[in-house]
Amino acid sequence: MPLPISDRRLSQLYRSLEASNGKIDDAQALKLLAEVADRSGWSAASAQRGLPTLSRDQQLAAIKRGMTANEKADLVKILDQGTVRLDPSARSMFEAVLDRQAPPPPPPPDGNLRVTGDQANGLSGFAKPGDKIEAINLSAAPTGRLHTDDTTVIATVGADGKFTAAKLTGDQAIKEGDIIRMRARHADGTTGDWVTLRATGLGRDTRNAEVAIFRIGLTENAGQIDVSNINASRQVSEPGAKLQFTNVRTGEKTVVTLNAEGTFDPGVKLNGKAGDTFNVASTDGTNNSDFSVQVGKLQVPGADGSGVPDIIKDPALHKDELDSNGNPRFSTRRFTGPLFKDGVSLEDPVQGQIGDCYFPSAVAAIAYQNAQALQDAIEDNGDGTYTVTFKERDWRNGGTFRDVKIKVDGDLYVRSWGGPLYGSSGGDKGERTMELWFPVLEKAYAQWKGSFNAIGDGGHSDVVMQEILGRNGTSMSVREGNEAAVFAQIKRSLDAKQPVSAGTYGESQSARYTNSGVYANHSYSVIGYRTADDGTMMVKLRNPWGESEPAGNGSNDGIFELDIKTFNKLYQNLMYTTP
Amino acid sequence: MAKPPEPLSEVLPLAVWVVDAEVVEVISTGPQPPEPPLRDKQRPDATSRNLNAPAQKVKLKVNRVLKGDAVKELVVDKPIAGYALKAGNHGPFLIDKAKTILGRYGPDTYNFGKLEAAIKG
Repeated sequence: MPLPISDRRLSQLYRSLEASNGKIDDAQALKLLAEVADRSGWSAASAQRGLPTLSRDQQLAAIKRGMTANEKADLVKILDQGTVRLDPSARSMFEAVLDRQAPPPPPPPDGNLRVTGDQANGLSGFAKPGDKIEAINLSAAPTGRLHTDDTTVIATVGADGKFTAAKLTGDQAIKEGDIIRMRARHADGTTGDWVTLRATGLGRDTRNAEVAIFRIGLTENAGQIDVSNINASRQVSEPGAKLQFTNVRTGEKTVVTLNAEGTFDPGVKLNGKAGDTFNVASTDGTNNSDFSVQVGKLQVPGADGSGVPDIIKDPALHKDELDSNGNPRFSTRRFTGPLFKDGVSLEDPVQGQIGDCYFPSAVAAIAYQNAQALQDAIEDNGDGTYTVTFKERDWRNGGTFRDVKIKVDGDLYVRSWGGPLYGSSGGDKGERTMELWFPVLEKAYAQWKGSFNAIGDGGHSDVVMQEILGRNGTSMSVREGNEAAVFAQIKRSLDAKQPVSAGTYGESQSARYTNSGVYANHSYSVIGYRTADDGTMMVKLRNPWGESEPAGNGSNDGIFELDIKTFNKLYQNLMYTTP
Repeated sequence: MAKPPEPLSEVLPLAVWVVDAEVVEVISTGPQPPEPPLRDKQRPDATSRNLNAPAQKVKLKVNRVLKGDAVKELVVDKPIAGYALKAGNHGPFLIDKAKTILGRYGPDTYNFGKLEAAIKG
């Protein structure tokens, strides 16, 4: 005889379980309890979708809020008289709903991460003893440089399988309503499934869905506008955020819901045409739900060929170029010269007023050894924008390299007299005539890394080589005494058509550089070697400034030779890629 | 530091003296400025880090004056910067009214040819 359950939907569900001789596991329990939660502000359908995303305490609160006296009586029957077996954790959940003082759930036998409680005192839960708990705040990450799997370790699980009061800090600090993605990393380095929750217990939800508007690309395509994420490896906004696009010309409003990765699903389209401007507003479902506050404007490029709209937010200036109030001391100007004038050459990259010598040094080294790779990496879109393809390790696919496409326009920061502030091309610096491939590449690199500030305080040429070529970058220590080995490595790399750079020591050793023609804390492209008639091993280098070199090396073009002993005295490392 | 030299057009107007000179004595050296922390994933051998050498007070023997009043000797300040001076270092020094050496790399910032051309205008 079927169990007499008064609630119609609950009864139907339970009967189907009876008929199938099934059992009530955690998923089935939530399905049944969603029918109970349907007066908590959710429909039964939305409760079915929403309950699994909540912590256990949040689930209990929602279910109890929606539970009627009849439904409570039904649950008692299911628990005490039902013929369908309940898994222990499902039974525990039912007992908790009925306030039977059930003990807290035991650590999951499968070792999977489970979060309990709200976040008033941080993140707590269960996982396998010894696991590291990793987390990222997906509501705080969109406008930064983080990928959705750039997590922070917030706790180590104790021997009792518990972790408590774990917190994200700084920019990642959790606020009410934030979406937190977590996982457990096991001792063998593998990870469990992602667990995503919405933070509660922290007061009022005041953080609306942040939008990385500079990652939104609009492109006219067959009478409509394609909407895409121009940096698909990072978020546009938090998962589930809604973006409203309002076509200023037609007034039409289109709302797009972002997917679980906080980006656009393929095939998102708007009605409009080239040149149209769209106002963009966002909501996380709580804040700005009427889309009254905009986050910015976007214009579809290519309008009637009359110039290129400024659709892409430029990477911010380095902090050295801000005034005491934090305002930029330099503005941008649109450069419209050819992307390539005479192909790619060693002399093209010239470092600007920014501490990124490692970048032009690496790029010039690549230009010398593999110019085609650079030409292939930078595409002129024909609308005043350029798409640069960098390479990034994909650790989810065994560390293979994946493409990262960055779209930029020709707006470059300029000095008061009009010349480029940052990287430029050797020779002509004119707004309409300068060869653009190197400044565009550098701008895209800054865009990718977050800003010129992010790239302007030092780095490594081998990393840049790796990120352009998609080949392993590595370095070798240079010191007085290992001249033969260093020369052999230079020879081996250059013969194999691999780019090579060399870095000098920092300022602690700066006295050795004054009057040497070589500068401390600097990266140089290595562009040749030879053995002189007297047997001296010589290394040929280029200063990425495009000038400044030791005396006696011909015209001041930054290209010079050093004997290997001097080289080993002044340089501390070689950086190169492996074939 | 390893930024390129500042454009000469921005520095030359600040120079009261432009001299061809040699360091004959380092009179004093200030404390080592703190190193900025390594950024995410930076190795200690990163280049273009914002590292600086201490300030110094040095005595210059002036061999030739390209701009400014005639002078045989100057005691000047080398600011906290990406280079250091020692006795024997020589070259073109640009010095402002506070007797501070201008140019990101001191005597290695600009060459004589470039300076002479700029001074002539």
